[in-house]
Amino acid sequence: MDDLTSYRLSDFILFSQTVYYRQFELYNQAIWPLHLVAILSTCVIIYALWKKPVWAGRVITGLLVVSWCWVAWAFLYQRFYQIHVVANWYALGFILQAGLIAWYGVIKNRLVFFAGNTLRAKLGSGLLFIIFILYPFIPFITGRSWLQFEMFALAPDPTVFATLTILLIYKSPKLLYVIPIIWVFLSCMTVFVMQ
Amino acid sequence: MKNQFNWSRRRFSQYMALGIVGTIGGLRAPRLAQARPGTLITKPIPSSNERIPVIGLGSSRTFNVGDDPGALDNVAAVMRDFFNAGGKLIDSSPMYGSSQPAIGYGLKKLMKAKNVFSADKVWTWESDTGPAQIEQSRRYWNVDSFDLMQVHNLVEWEQHLKTLYRMKQQGKIRYMGITTSHGRRHNELEDIMKTQSLDFVQFSYNIIDREVEKRLLPLAQKRGITVIVNRPFQRGDLIDELEGKPLPTWASDIDCKNWPQLLLKFVVSHPAVTCAIPATSQVAHVNENMAACYGPLPDKAMRTRMIDYVEKVI
Repeated sequence: MDDLTSYRLSDFILFSQTVYYRQFELYNQAIWPLHLVAILSTCVIIYALWKKPVWAGRVITGLLVVSWCWVAWAFLYQRFYQIHVVANWYALGFILQAGLIAWYGVIKNRLVFFAGNTLRAKLGSGLLFIIFILYPFIPFITGRSWLQFEMFALAPDPTVFATLTILLIYKSPKLLYVIPIIWVFLSCMTVFVMQ
Repeated sequence: MKNQFNWSRRRFSQYMALGIVGTIGGLRAPRLAQARPGTLITKPIPSSNERIPVIGLGSSRTFNVGDDPGALDNVAAVMRDFFNAGGKLIDSSPMYGSSQPAIGYGLKKLMKAKNVFSADKVWTWESDTGPAQIEQSRRYWNVDSFDLMQVHNLVEWEQHLKTLYRMKQQGKIRYMGITTSHGRRHNELEDIMKTQSLDFVQFSYNIIDREVEKRLLPLAQKRGITVIVNRPFQRGDLIDELEGKPLPTWASDIDCKNWPQLLLKFVVSHPAVTCAIPATSQVAHVNENMAACYGPLPDKAMRTRMIDYVEKVI
């Protein structure tokens, strides 16, 4: 595998920006009306973060587990893998992250909400508002087809961003940050290379 | 592939085409080969003397469109005009995502599976899975067999070349070769070209990146290895840099009406080069590229003039 070192990330981004964003359009058309389930899931998370019931940690992480698994299977493997030869590895990473969240969040219940009206909580709430409410409107704002929108629980970027924000709001094991941070790097590089 | 020529020139070409064939809706694009002067430029494959047109069609990035029906039809339209202009060689790889199924879609739609010179690659680090990957590629293309199978980017080349030798002896492929790109691993490629029996070799070459002129191109000529050139436009960067720059007046001496044609004629006029494979997702661009397959090629003095001019304006 020594010759693998002669590859750069850009050598693997063998699709155009148009084709990349078109994948979201085709995906959204194919999975409708699952968007309603994603919205419901988002509402449950917002409610749990707001009211902080005793079941909040387990339910939020449970929904994150389902979201990461769905994105891995339905978007990364079924669709993105068609145009990106390493997307199957991305899918595997998402499944691994789902497993980690399930272990620490659902089974061990290790996510503890930061008490009080802290800056961290306020910042987290603001970021979640952007990710849940504004993020899907990016195509519309940037002049692309609105059907290319990306939603939490259905598309990788908003799912990863929301997860990171929730992890910031909660006291959570550092291991849970690793894959989302790697994804943010890969996603930024992909967008950069496509341009 | 980025924009290859300015809007006004494109519109002018469109108006010319419309003027020729009329403006009734639903008309197909005219066969530009009919309007081109002279005959199609071909060069021989040294190992067989079979001749192929000097311009082929790459598929990296441009044909990787997934299962988007509209984009697949666009790929087929690009291939249609490529074949109509006399093109034959199409090149792909398992690395290019959905490009292989897209080519298969185009060949089936155009019923050109028997006409294409199919060039693909084997790209896997598990050498024992090479034959299975080649078979999968063949099914994607919808062809009976490949004309040319190449080892992609020197990956596991020792083992894959053995597989390709065997397949060639069995008549499953007609030619075998090896590829690299972006100027990588040229020393290793040179050793392979010296020691292995190859029909084809593929690497990057263009009017700016001419390092291969020193050793690889002369070696290919000496060893009778057919040279396919990838990235003749530096993946569109050269076109971007030259956009808006004046084409030299003497470009008309070699029937070049735009920069892509000049850049392609420079590449394919090298005596050791048999074929260049620009990739595009636009019908207008494939017609423009294929025009470089007609008319005179630059001689040595003209090639020097081309280099001087391009280096001056960039």
